[in-house]
Amino acid sequence: MSTMTATSAPTRAAPSGMVGRSTGDRIILALTIATAVIMMAPLVWVVALSLKDNKELMASMNAVFHAPYTLQNYLNILTTSSVFRWILNSLIVSGGVTFSTLVLCSLAGYGFARLNFPFRNVLFVIVLIGLAIPEQAVLIARHQLFSWLKLHNTYPGLILPWLSAPFGVFLMTQYFRAIPKELDEAALLDNASRFKIFWKVLLPLTVPAQATLGIFTFLSVWNDYFWPLISGTKKEMYTLTVGIASTQTNFAQSEGLGFLMSQAVFASAPILILYLFFQKYIVTAVSGAAVR
Amino acid sequence: MTAQIEIDSVTKRYGAMTVLENLSLSVRANEFMVFLGPSGCGKSTLLRMIAGLESVDEGTISINGERIDTLPPGQRGIAMVFQSYALYPHMTVADNMAFGLENIAVPKDVIAARLAEAARMLEIGHLMDRKPGQLSGGQRQRVAIGRAIVKEPKAFLFDEPLSNLDAALRVRTRVELAQLRNRVKSTMIFVTHDQIEAMTLADRVVVMNNRQIEQIGTPMDIYLRPASRFVATFVGSPTMNFLPVTLSERGGFLVAELPNGAHLTTTIRADGMTAGEQTLGIRAEAVRRAEPGASDTMPGRVEVLERLGDRTLLYIRLKDGSMIVAEDIGMSRVAIGDEIALTLDGTRTHLFDAEGRARHAEEIGHG
Repeated sequence: MSTMTATSAPTRAAPSGMVGRSTGDRIILALTIATAVIMMAPLVWVVALSLKDNKELMASMNAVFHAPYTLQNYLNILTTSSVFRWILNSLIVSGGVTFSTLVLCSLAGYGFARLNFPFRNVLFVIVLIGLAIPEQAVLIARHQLFSWLKLHNTYPGLILPWLSAPFGVFLMTQYFRAIPKELDEAALLDNASRFKIFWKVLLPLTVPAQATLGIFTFLSVWNDYFWPLISGTKKEMYTLTVGIASTQTNFAQSEGLGFLMSQAVFASAPILILYLFFQKYIVTAVSGAAVR
Repeated sequence: MTAQIEIDSVTKRYGAMTVLENLSLSVRANEFMVFLGPSGCGKSTLLRMIAGLESVDEGTISINGERIDTLPPGQRGIAMVFQSYALYPHMTVADNMAFGLENIAVPKDVIAARLAEAARMLEIGHLMDRKPGQLSGGQRQRVAIGRAIVKEPKAFLFDEPLSNLDAALRVRTRVELAQLRNRVKSTMIFVTHDQIEAMTLADRVVVMNNRQIEQIGTPMDIYLRPASRFVATFVGSPTMNFLPVTLSERGGFLVAELPNGAHLTTTIRADGMTAGEQTLGIRAEAVRRAEPGASDTMPGRVEVLERLGDRTLLYIRLKDGSMIVAEDIGMSRVAIGDEIALTLDGTRTHLFDAEGRARHAEEIGHG
């Protein structure tokens, strides 16, 4: 009689559950969970604080861990008459910058990737050098220029500085370069004009790059505090970041902690919504896969 | 609609490098012409110049007498199938095929009719709403051809369209292309480095090498009467055998003294040819095992056998160290290591001079 002996071959991790996981996999999973908890803890802490009455927090921080919770801090924000104006300002500035950046960077990227013109490579290098110049280095000159042009406290004043976007030009150039030239040639044989090739054939293929660039641009502008603080000095021209900061009292860290945290959550909400809609593109962008 | 294409003294340069030099060629109406040559010989460049994707530095290109090399690609009445298919990835099959027609404002009902006809012809009706990413290589190939067909061009240009397909699909698509050619009466120019594609599809083959045209002829012309040693080497599998010989004349024909001293009487006329050393070319099918007792044979040892089913190729090392390929029947009993004698068919020989120019035995082709 023959017997069958089960041989224990090394097994890879099963598709689901812990069955069959190796020790290495378990360690990696534990580390991942621990990292996620560390990353999430401050966010949960901020949200929890924002839901507490400030008097309770003044008495003891342990109040965070038990009821009652309240939305009063958020109601206080909404009753601040200017907050919707600031949101509108942030939307106009962020949306305007994002739209303009996408248009300009797409055109520039197409030009650098596809058109032959004198000093193309030199100009591209000059654009890339822009990546190495920090905003602070040009701040005073820009402030003086905008003062002279009377652009402070205007939407163009808040939007224009963002439109020199070397990273965007670089990203779009690389993306256009990765698209096979045969598509242009096929379209040329299909009697399409240069603009039609750009608009109908190539631009739709850059949607992942456009989404990446658009999201990063929108997030950067939405979160920007420095330039709006300098350029938008009138209350009605505050962006949300500047506006919320303006409502903080001198002792906000102790006397208005719940309100401060609710402001932080409130300012982050649009970004969170944006992330939920476009997380696929953001992950792709971060992993670097957007540039093929 | 069809086209006679005249290429007259065309030159193409990239900077200091000349890739095509003073090249002239006439493609007849409704002809299926194949540009055949190794990589870098300029065949694709010539095709792209006809399409308008490359400029012409010197010379002219005309279609039906009208000069087109100054026209933009879309106005030349030409459709092209690319090696990579170049289908627009974000458009459906139907949109891909309609794009070119919409650009010249063809009425929608006409576009729909042409798409339906092409879809029926290429059997891609069920794919019309899919995008290229959802298609197999063969299906993309059909769509690319469909996109060309619906334009009803004067001429079709194919730039190595089969090279991205696997071996089996390549054979099938080749047959389908031949069938398509019979249905779509139009001038077609096909670029390939694959001699089988050239031999099976072409009315005439243009063999190109090193910026020049080496030979223009029907597939059998090219095979049986190669104009140069390059053509003889490039066309045919296995490649032609070449043997150094010393020539003499007998009865108006050349007699070649083979490397082992045997004499081969050829049917190559000696007219004007000086006796002396030249290179004799002979294909494997004209090199056979000698009958026992035959004279003027070449002895050698079998080193490699290639059994192809219907025939067997014998790679034989001759006494002087050179290799020759001979052909035997499919059920050949020859084994590796066997010492055998070979006989050469003098009526199927070619002679190549020092410049590589050829002379052919008279029975070959039509003399």
